[in-house]
Amino acid sequence: MKQFQYIHPTSQTAVLDAISKPGSKIIAGGTNLVDLMKKGVTAPDKLVDINSLPLSTVNTGPDGLHIGALTLNSVVSENSLVLDKHPLLAMALKAGASPQLRNMATVGGNMMQRTRCAYFYDTAMPCNKRTPGSGCGAMGGYNRMHAIFGTSTQCIAVHPSDMCVALAALDATVTIAGKKSKRRIPFTDFHRLPGEHPEMDNHLAPGELILGVDIPDNNFAKNSYYLKVRDRQSYAFALVSVAAGLDIQNGIIKKARLAMGGVAHKPWRLFEVEKSLEGKTPSEDNFKAAAQIAMQGAKAREFNAFKLKLAPATIAETLKHAGGLV
Amino acid sequence: MQEGWYNMETLLNKPIPTSADGLSRVDGRAKVTGAAKYSAEYNQPNMAYAVLVGSTITKGTIATIDTKAALKAPGVLTLLTYLNAPKVPGHVATKPQKPGAKSGPLKIFYDNKILYNGHPIAMVVADTFERAQYAASLVKATYNKQAHDTKPPKDLSRGVGAWDGKDFTRGTVDAWKTAPVKLEQEYTHPSEIHNPMELHAIIARWDAPDKLTVWDKTQGVRATRGDIAKAFNLKAENVQVNSQFVGGAFGSALQVWPHEVAAILGAKVVKRPVKLVLSRPDMFTSVGYRPYTWQKIGIGATADGKLVGITHEAVGQTSSFEDFAEGPINTSKGLYVSPNVTTRYKLLSLDVNTPTWMRGPGEATGAFALESALDELSYALKMDPIDLRMKNYAKVDPDNGKEYSSKYLDEAYAMGAKQIGWDKRKADAGSVMENGWLAGYGMAGGMFGAYRDNTVAKAIMKADGTLTVQTAVSDIGPGTGTAMVLIAAKVMGIDPGKIKFDMGDSALPFAPMQGGSATTSAVGSAVNDACVVLKEKFQKLMGNGGTDKPDYVKILKDNNLTELETVTRSQPGPDNEKYSMQSWSVHFVKVLVHPATGVVKIDKVACVADSGKIISPKTARSQVVGGAIGGIGMALMEEGIIDHRYGRYVNNNFGDYHVPVNADIPQIDALFIDKPDPYINPIGAKGMGEIALIGMAAAVANAVYNATGKRVRDLPITPDKLI
Amino acid sequence: MPDKKPVTPTGGEEPSNATRRDFIKQTSLLTAVALTPGTVVEAATNNMDEQIAAALEKLPLKMEVNGTPRSLSVEPRSTLLDILREQLDLTGTKKGCDHGQCGACTVHVNGRRVNSCLTLGVMVNGKKVTTIEGLANGEELHPMQEAFLKHDGFQCGYCTPGQIMSAVACIREGHANSEAEIREYMSGNICRCGAYPNIVNAIQEVKAGGQAV
Repeated sequence: MKQFQYIHPTSQTAVLDAISKPGSKIIAGGTNLVDLMKKGVTAPDKLVDINSLPLSTVNTGPDGLHIGALTLNSVVSENSLVLDKHPLLAMALKAGASPQLRNMATVGGNMMQRTRCAYFYDTAMPCNKRTPGSGCGAMGGYNRMHAIFGTSTQCIAVHPSDMCVALAALDATVTIAGKKSKRRIPFTDFHRLPGEHPEMDNHLAPGELILGVDIPDNNFAKNSYYLKVRDRQSYAFALVSVAAGLDIQNGIIKKARLAMGGVAHKPWRLFEVEKSLEGKTPSEDNFKAAAQIAMQGAKAREFNAFKLKLAPATIAETLKHAGGLV
Repeated sequence: MQEGWYNMETLLNKPIPTSADGLSRVDGRAKVTGAAKYSAEYNQPNMAYAVLVGSTITKGTIATIDTKAALKAPGVLTLLTYLNAPKVPGHVATKPQKPGAKSGPLKIFYDNKILYNGHPIAMVVADTFERAQYAASLVKATYNKQAHDTKPPKDLSRGVGAWDGKDFTRGTVDAWKTAPVKLEQEYTHPSEIHNPMELHAIIARWDAPDKLTVWDKTQGVRATRGDIAKAFNLKAENVQVNSQFVGGAFGSALQVWPHEVAAILGAKVVKRPVKLVLSRPDMFTSVGYRPYTWQKIGIGATADGKLVGITHEAVGQTSSFEDFAEGPINTSKGLYVSPNVTTRYKLLSLDVNTPTWMRGPGEATGAFALESALDELSYALKMDPIDLRMKNYAKVDPDNGKEYSSKYLDEAYAMGAKQIGWDKRKADAGSVMENGWLAGYGMAGGMFGAYRDNTVAKAIMKADGTLTVQTAVSDIGPGTGTAMVLIAAKVMGIDPGKIKFDMGDSALPFAPMQGGSATTSAVGSAVNDACVVLKEKFQKLMGNGGTDKPDYVKILKDNNLTELETVTRSQPGPDNEKYSMQSWSVHFVKVLVHPATGVVKIDKVACVADSGKIISPKTARSQVVGGAIGGIGMALMEEGIIDHRYGRYVNNNFGDYHVPVNADIPQIDALFIDKPDPYINPIGAKGMGEIALIGMAAAVANAVYNATGKRVRDLPITPDKLI
Repeated sequence: MPDKKPVTPTGGEEPSNATRRDFIKQTSLLTAVALTPGTVVEAATNNMDEQIAAALEKLPLKMEVNGTPRSLSVEPRSTLLDILREQLDLTGTKKGCDHGQCGACTVHVNGRRVNSCLTLGVMVNGKKVTTIEGLANGEELHPMQEAFLKHDGFQCGYCTPGQIMSAVACIREGHANSEAEIREYMSGNICRCGAYPNIVNAIQEVKAGGQAV
C-alpha cells in the first residue's frame, strides 16, 4: 500500500474542506477502501477519517425514518425502529458480509462500496472502471457474477450491496452535503449505470459527503422479504437477490415494492413489476407472471445465462415469502 | 436396503460419539489462548520482510525488469531477480511418486523463463512488511509473450500429456460393454486449492555461512531439513527446521516450495533473518493444488447387480515443467469385486503451476467418479445403492488376492444407514418434498491404503515421574500430540497429564512426514515401542521379573538415577507385506434442494470410519467431521477459476474461492468401527485423514440426484446447475 | 493530527513511482525549505534521510490493548493486525487473508468484534482493543476457551483465536439463541479444518451455562 496522509477532522466544514482537494478520500469503516488500497486498485494521497462527525443516529423525522450515514450496518440491522418499520432493510443488512464487517461498515460506506468484479480488483487485468480505456476483462471472460441489466459497451459489473437493494425498494432518499449546499436525491438515482463512464459508480460529486438516508413510512412491514441466492449459505455475494415489500389490504395487493441485486451496476428497481402486481391477489401464479415482466431487456453472457432463469425464480420465491404463501 | 446381511444389535446401538468425549487436546490450551506460535510468529531481532512479485503473463520470457523505483523505495534492503540472485547449489526435489520425465520443481530466480501466471520474478526484502509490500508493487516487468495453454480440451478420452501411466487390465479389456445393464459417463472436478487458514510462511536465519535455522510451515521437519540441506549444499545437521504448530496444510506443505528457497536466499543476501509470508493470492500459485481431473467410468452389471466390468479412465492436469501423478484410478481396482477392470491414467501438461497431493488425494478424485457411477448403476438396476455395494463386496483384495488385515465396511454401511435414517429414502428421484424443499439421500464410500513407516521415538522418564516422548513429526491439526500421549499413558500406566510430547523440531529423532494418513500408525507405533522398552528397563531394575506397574519415581530414586531413557526404532514387519491393509469409510448425506433457486442445503450427515482402533476419540471424531466438511466443499463450491485468455486466476481469494462456512454445515455424526487391526502395527490403528474425505463428494452428488433427479457430473454443484 | 505536509507525492489512482527521498529532496531544496527543519534538509541532501523521513511519516497511536495502555508511532497504512503481530508481538491474532474474507484476525475494538486486517491502526487511537491474549483471567481460562477445549472447536488452531473472539461477541450480542442463529453469526470466521459443529456445541454450552462472558 502506498503511504498516505491521514487526518481526522472533527467538523463537517473541515471534512468538506479536506475532501475538496484532489487525491483525498473519505474513510469511515474502511472495509472496502482499505481492501482496495491493499490491492493497489486505489491509492489516495490523503485519507479523511469522518468518524467524529455526528452522523450515526437513527430516529423518526419529518421524512420518515432517518439513518445517519455513519451508522454501523450492524446497528441498523438491530435497531428497534428499523425492525418495526422496515424489517426489509434489517433482513438485507443481515444477509450482507459478516458480523465483523457489519460492525465496521457504515451506511454511507455501504452505498459507496465498489464492485467485486475480479477484473476490477486485479491491476494486471484490463478494467474500464479502474483504468478507463483499458478495456473490459469480464465481457469476454469469466462473467458468472456479472450484470444482465443496464450494461454498457464499457462495463458489465454489478453493485455488490444488499442494503442498497432494500433502500432502493423502500423509496429512500439520500441527503448529501456539498461545500456550499445540501441536496436530496431519490436513492434509486444515487447509483448510476456504467454507460460511457464506468469509473463513476454514482452521482456523488467530488467533494460531496453523504449525510444519511430517509425512508418514508409505508405499510410493507408485515409483508416484506429479502432473499439472497448465493454459492454458500452465508458470507458470499449474491448471484441474485430480491427485496420485496407488499402492502396487502383485504387480500389485495395495494402497493408493491421490488428491487433486485446482483444483476446490474446499481440496485435494480422493478417499477413495471410493481405496477403489474397492484390490485392483484397474492398468489403463486400472479407472482410468477410478475416475475417474467422483470426480465424484459435482460441480456446474458457466456457464464451468467443462468441468471435469466434464476432471477425470475428468485423474484417469485421472494414474493411468495412476502405474500405469506411460504 | 435389504435386511439380513447385518444383524448386529450391539453394533447398531453403540452410543454416537459427541464432541465432548475423550481427552482434550494436549496442545489445546496453547491454541485457545493464542500462545501457540506458527511459523511466521517467531519474530527475530533485526528481522527483514520479503514479498514476492509474480509474473502477469503466463508463458514467455522476461524482457526487462524495472527495479529502480522499488530499490529507491524506503526501507528496501535488496531486490532479487534471476539477474542477481545467488545461485542455489542444488535443486529441491521431493516428490517420491514422480514419474519424472520433465525438469522438476520450479527453480526460483533461475532464468528469464515464465512458466505460468504468477511465476515469481522478483523478491523485495525491506525492513518492514508494509515497505516490502509497497516496493513490490513498484517492480515492473516487460515480457516476450508466447501463446499459452491453460484450458483442458473438451475431449480428453484420447489421452494427452507427456507422461502416460501404464494401462491396467484385470480380466478382459473394457468388459463392462458386454454387460446387460451398463452405463458410461464422464465426471470432472476443477482444480481445488488447499487454502489452509495459515498462510505458508518461513523465517530464515543464517547462523553461520554453513548453518541455517528456519521456522517453516511444513508437514515434515526432517524432509524439509533434507531438502534445504541439499538445495544449499549444507550438512543436514547444520540445518535446523522448526515447525511447532502448523495451521493446516492438507498436503500443501508436503514439499519445499520455491518461496522457501527464496527466503533463505534473501536472508543470505541481506545478512539478516528474513520473514516471508505468502499472500492469499500467492497460495493459489505457489504451493500446489488438487489438479483438475477428467474421468470416464464405464460400468456394467448383470441384472441382479453383479459387476461384470469397470473401466476407469482419468486425465489429470499437471504443469509444463513437472509431472504430478496420483491415484484416481486405484479405487476402481479394489473397492469392489469385479472380474474385469481396465484403468487408463494420463497427465495433461498445461501452462500452470504444478499440482500436489490434497487431502484424500487421487483416491478422493477417483471415488467421486466411481461412487457416482455406482449410484447411477443402482438406479439403472432399480436396486438399493447399499445392496449393490454389498452384492459386490470384496472379502479379499481383488487387486492382488491378499487377505485384508481388517475390513468392516459392511458394518460401516449398516451403522451409517441406521444413523441417517436410510429407510426414509425413496428410490424415485425427485419425489420427496419437505417444507417446500426437495429432499434426498445419498451415500458413497471410499478406501485408502493403511501405511506404516519407520519412525524413531525417544522416551525419557524423569525423577519427578513425568515422561517426555520425542520424535520429529509435525502436526497439521489432527491431534498427533494427543494421540501420542494417550498411547504412552496406556503403556506406561501413568496419567496423561504427566506426559509431554515434543515434536516439530528436526533435531529430534526421525519421523516421517505427516501425510498419507500414516502418522498415528507409524509414529504411534514408535511411541508405543519406546514406552514398552522403557518400561522393561524399569522392570529389569525392579528385579524379580518386575511387576506390571512400576513405581517409576521410586525406582529412579532407589537406583540413584535422575532419569531413564530409551531411543527406539519402530518399523513394519512381514505382516505389512502379507496382508492388504486399507482404511475404509462410508458417508451418508441428506440434502434439501430448493426447487426454484437450486440452493443445496446439507441437512444431515453420518460418516462411519473403519480405521482400526481409535486411539484418541475426541480428535478422531474431529478428523472425520473435518474431512466430511472438506468433501462438502469439494461437492458444492470449491473451484479454482482461470481466465484462459490470460491464464490467470480470477478468484484467488477467500471471497471468491468458496469454502464452507459455519452456516453451510449441520451437526455431523461421526461413527467408528473401533476394532483394532491385528496386523498393521502394535497399536491396531489404521489411517483416518484421507478416508474422512474420500467418497464424501459423491455422497452429496448422489443425494442431490435423489432429491432432484438431476445428476451433476461436473463439480461443484452450484445453484445454477440445478435450476 | 499533527500539522505536517504530506510526505507522499500525489499520483492519482495509480501508485506513483516517485519516492519519498526524491520528494523530500525536491521540497526541501525548492519550495519547502522554510517549513522543513534544517537537519532534515541536510540529511536528505546527504542521502541520510531514511530514518528522519520514516519518523515524519509516522503518527502517534495510543490505545489500550488487553488493559495495558500502549503508546506507539505507526505509519497510517499499518493495519491493526500488522501492528499487533509485528510491533507488539501479540501473534495470537492471525492473518489468514488480509482482506476481511476469513475472520482469523477478529479482535474486539471498544467491545465490538471487527476484522483487524481492514482496520487502520491510526483509527484505533484512543480505543480499547481486546485480543485472544486478553481473554483469560490470568491462568483461568475464559469460559469460551474452556468450551472450545472441551468440544474440540478446532484442529490446527489457526482460526481459533478469531473464532473464540467472535464466539464471545456472538453471545454478548445476543446472537446465540439457537443453533441456526449461531451458525449464521459465526459465518464470518472460516475454519478450513472443519470444526464448525464443535464450535457451535462450544457456544451453546457457554450460552446454556449462563456464565458471564
